[in-house]
Amino acid sequence: MDLLTLWLWPLVALCVLPAALVYFGLHVVGRGIIFVDLALAQIAALGIATAVLLGADAEHGKLPYVLAITFTIAGAALFTFTRFRHPRVPHEAIIGIIYIVAAAAATMVLSRTAAGDEEIKNLLVGNILLVSKGEVIRTALLYLVVGAFHYALRHKFHLISFDPDEAERQGLNVRLWDFLFYASFGLVVTSFVRIAGVYLVFSYLIVPAVCGALISSRAAVRLGIGWAVALTAGLTGLVLSTEWQSMDLPTGPTIVCTFGLLLIVCGGVAYAQMRRPQRGGIAVAEE
Amino acid sequence: MKRLAIALGAAALFGSALPAAAVLKVVATTSEYGALASQLGGARVSVTTIAKPTEDPHFVDARPSQIVALNRADVLIEGGAELEIGWLPPLLEGARNGKILTGAPGRVVASEGIQLLDIPLAADRSQGDTHVAGNPHFMLDPLNAKIVAEHLVRVLSSLDPAGAPVYKANLAQFETSLATKMAEWTAALKPFAGRPIVTYHPTWRYFGRRFGLVADTFLEPKPGIPPSPPHLAKVMQKMKAENIHVLLVEPYQPRKTAEAVASRTNAVVVDVCQFPGGLPGTDTYISLIDVVVKRISQALASHS
Repeated sequence: MDLLTLWLWPLVALCVLPAALVYFGLHVVGRGIIFVDLALAQIAALGIATAVLLGADAEHGKLPYVLAITFTIAGAALFTFTRFRHPRVPHEAIIGIIYIVAAAAATMVLSRTAAGDEEIKNLLVGNILLVSKGEVIRTALLYLVVGAFHYALRHKFHLISFDPDEAERQGLNVRLWDFLFYASFGLVVTSFVRIAGVYLVFSYLIVPAVCGALISSRAAVRLGIGWAVALTAGLTGLVLSTEWQSMDLPTGPTIVCTFGLLLIVCGGVAYAQMRRPQRGGIAVAEE
Repeated sequence: MKRLAIALGAAALFGSALPAAAVLKVVATTSEYGALASQLGGARVSVTTIAKPTEDPHFVDARPSQIVALNRADVLIEGGAELEIGWLPPLLEGARNGKILTGAPGRVVASEGIQLLDIPLAADRSQGDTHVAGNPHFMLDPLNAKIVAEHLVRVLSSLDPAGAPVYKANLAQFETSLATKMAEWTAALKPFAGRPIVTYHPTWRYFGRRFGLVADTFLEPKPGIPPSPPHLAKVMQKMKAENIHVLLVEPYQPRKTAEAVASRTNAVVVDVCQFPGGLPGTDTYISLIDVVVKRISQALASHS
């Protein structure tokens, strides 16, 4: 059994870190801004590319890290000021434009440097199998701080995501809270992309939130379902890919496909609930 | 009874891959080292290769089986010269195997003892994804393969002294057939001495130097940097001016770019590979060089 020796840190990472992503996923799905995570990750990449252009060593120097965070926070500001409550264009369109311009700009910046495109991609996009103890602990601490911040202010964050009109009526500074939301979200997403790659970030954000929303309308129940789905997919994917050696499946994609199957299961549960609305339960979703 | 049947079934499924007498578990980063280890170790070694022959050796995506293989390995052969620097260190960190760490007796760095080309005078990053240690594609010179084979046999013999006579005999056999083939290859390429060829990446520098071809025009502006339009324009001008008609491309390099250049310069794109198994009929090191020499000499002949 290699699970507790060779795969210990991937296992810990998959048990602990998704907690924060599932929580943010509920907000992101609630706001209808599905691709904001990819856009923020791409903006962070632009930061790293810029640091390389300025002569930093992409792997070791401090500058890439500092610029990745600076760019992420600038991106958060950008998303804050492009969110309108009664928009002429959907926010998702603007997010898509920001994503593609950031991606193109990173390519342009890199073409002025000596480093290859792939090199930056490797730095930005991790592989969950190769996560180190230090990375897991550092990221878990960061998530703990962000989590405590959001837990303490959960009512305000809930209001600005799900009912901005009411938030305004209560006199909240929606722009400021939006900015805090995007900035903390950006830190969480960017650090997880470095550990696990883009596929897994997207899956952990969106699939558990969608599963929760299919089955229940209560925020706490959705969060519980989301966590159960995330834990099940992560563990199943890791065990399948590491123990089923004759197949030699790559771990990240195995987890993503497990998510897909779990979504179908949750869809089935939601369908059964619709047919028998008086007996809609959530216990089944733990499966 | 049932359990026994399952165990037997499992042994039939998985056990057959390992020869019963294998003494050393060898892991090779790329398949030319894996092929050499199989040939020299015979039934005394079981060999696992990390990178597929059609995969870019600069970038390899980790799979669980690779970490397990590294965890259990007695010997690890790497090219060295920074070829695997992007992916091997994290894999080794995950594998936790002291027998194959840097400096351990089980770690074979093939580039040790090889005269490397293209060592940059100033070690900065302005020259692209340049390997500060020098060009790592030295195995395409068969005489370098001979040096690596001797290196490998020294290590196998010291870790498995009982097998030393076998390794020595296999080495002698390898060197004899290499010498015979070397004469054939040299003769096949001799008519084209001094002819320039274009390659996508500086993979064929050692090959060109050994066989008298000039392989120093690349579609990449700097190693590892995708071709830019101005650079491609320069390459095409040079191809027309110097009458270059052969363009080598490897499995993981963009064939579309090569074809676009070839169609504008009346050149022919030749599919080659630096790794055994990357082309049909290239299971061993010698058969790989054989196929590559044949393809390149045919392409050069058709444009004479």
